[in-house]
Amino acid sequence: MILQIKGLHKSFGKTQVIFGVNLEIEHSECHAIIGPNGAGKSTLFNLISGLYKPSSGNIKLKGEEIVGLSPFEIYRRGLSRSFQVLNIFRNMSVFENIRCALLWQLGYKYSFWQRTNTLKEVQERAEMILNQIGMTNRRDVIAGALSYGEQRRLEIGITIGSGAEIILLDEPTAGLSKPETEEVVKLIHNVTKGKTLLLVEHDMNVVFAISHRISVLVYGQIIATGEPEMIKQNRQVQEAYLGTFNEKAA
Amino acid sequence: MRSSIITRYKIWIISALIISIWPLFLSDLALSLLSQMGIAVIFALSYNILLGQCGLLSFGHAVFFGLGAYFTIHALRLINIGQLTIPTPLLPLVGAFAGLILGITVGLIGTRRPGATFALITLGINELVHSSALMFIDFFGSETGISAKREGWLGITFGSQLEVYYLIVIWTFICIILIYAFTGTPLGRISNAVRDNPERTGFIGYSPVMVRALIMMVSGFFAGLAGGLYAINWELVTYENVGIMQSAFVLFMVFIGGAGYFFGPIIGAVIVTFITLYLSAFTGAWMLYLGLFFMVMVLFAPSGIAGILMLHKPVWQRKLLRRIILSYIVALFSCFVITLSGIGLIEIIFHWSSTGYTNSVMTVYGIKFDAKGFLPWAITFAGIILGGYFFKKSLSNVKKNWSLVSIELQSKCHDDSSN
Repeated sequence: MILQIKGLHKSFGKTQVIFGVNLEIEHSECHAIIGPNGAGKSTLFNLISGLYKPSSGNIKLKGEEIVGLSPFEIYRRGLSRSFQVLNIFRNMSVFENIRCALLWQLGYKYSFWQRTNTLKEVQERAEMILNQIGMTNRRDVIAGALSYGEQRRLEIGITIGSGAEIILLDEPTAGLSKPETEEVVKLIHNVTKGKTLLLVEHDMNVVFAISHRISVLVYGQIIATGEPEMIKQNRQVQEAYLGTFNEKAA
Repeated sequence: MRSSIITRYKIWIISALIISIWPLFLSDLALSLLSQMGIAVIFALSYNILLGQCGLLSFGHAVFFGLGAYFTIHALRLINIGQLTIPTPLLPLVGAFAGLILGITVGLIGTRRPGATFALITLGINELVHSSALMFIDFFGSETGISAKREGWLGITFGSQLEVYYLIVIWTFICIILIYAFTGTPLGRISNAVRDNPERTGFIGYSPVMVRALIMMVSGFFAGLAGGLYAINWELVTYENVGIMQSAFVLFMVFIGGAGYFFGPIIGAVIVTFITLYLSAFTGAWMLYLGLFFMVMVLFAPSGIAGILMLHKPVWQRKLLRRIILSYIVALFSCFVITLSGIGLIEIIFHWSSTGYTNSVMTVYGIKFDAKGFLPWAITFAGIILGGYFFKKSLSNVKKNWSLVSIELQSKCHDDSSN
């Protein structure tokens, strides 16, 4: 078990958003979290990745407690995430975005005695990731000038650049057209091989295509966890959430 | 191989040659100006490590410069009385390390939050140090400051301005190269990431607070070094060197030159130093002009002179400059008329009021006249109004030509990429 969440609560002032979530993520599984809008999916991600501090509860990453740690400390323990709202370095080139995401992991940290351009390992990995996300020809474009779909791909590139063992993707296909979504799904599939993937996603086709297990989050509580087929047939889930999916599909 | 190195560093080699040979033919006054420019260049570049690279707007950068200068002058005093031996050329490093250590302190207190919080904290620290300067007179001297004498080294006496100039120019060159190299290091790159999106840097493994604190140290190092050179150049450091005005000047330099480009602060430092020294010799209202210039730049050219230059680089490269140059000349001429009349008006008011309205006879632009007369006022006002009218007209022409040129540029770029 790589990630273990126990009795997680979070409230903002008087509004409670997460009500005692328990979740266990296995090694190298692809686990999707689905649920209606406002269920607390992004909040859960923000709690796990250290952006928010939980009101109570435990989060264990590889057996170590990570509640109370800063995002960069959690990252250094091997967890990387993407954002639902694009969160890239807008005034830097695509290549520079990717390269910055590699520096810590490759051990260059706060170095001020080396020239980044001469770090062969960094340059090669950055080019490789550019190739993986299919943006080699957009290498020197300023990130803020990319199309929305390209920015989403860059967002994934930054997230996977680290080579983290566990990757959290928050709605990686939000706002994308159908062909763009298919491309991104392929991309996710390729770049997360052998890694643990935790995914928040609205597109049910995507969820059922790539996840091994699914958890359903409704009003801050996980009402079911299981394999895709099991979730589809779960009555409680159908009532709470999938009803809308079936109507849409029909 | 050798020729490629020469072409690559062409610009550095040429400027190194110019600044090392040209001064041999200059007066002491011009050398003093150049020395001050060199110091200002290092100071402005150190400020831009904070602002341009890391997005930290500081209102207290004089603290690093001033304390660097104070530590250097105290070191020099100790050398004078024989209690310390440091070769004079290495003396600026005393200031630099003072700046570095101060950078750690300020960095750890001040960089938890960027933006307004950081700006206000630096302002507070500047006030703190500035007011301490008049309280702790052992270290800061009283209003007369602390003075010492430059010592010779290996037969160089550092008695003439030329020798001091060479010392400053060598340090300036070293600092420019080091600061430029710093922008390419992992820390330099990450500081850009912190500027763009501090939240996300946390999720690529970096603590934004730590990055800012380190950047503060690096910036403090170079600002302190500039202060050290100042102490050597003047042999005198006063409490004004840690004053808020000094902080404002470096801000002016960087904004006027352009914070978004490496060479922007260099241009700004040269221009502002020139204005400060030459304009102040001509008129007591020079601060007003500098302030107006700064305002005009911030309002109409926020990316500074470097930004304007870089905007025209593709136009120049594709030989389209002649299409717009005529409309520029017309616009600049009307600008010139406004400026000339505006300065005339300010000078009339300034001179007349500074005599307590007793002496209305004065000379502006070499013309002697009586401020009580109708004509001087009429001419200056007419100049401003007419200049403004023609400027507005010519501006639409500039815009028209510019859009035509940019359309052509885009199509040319397109041709290039499709070929």
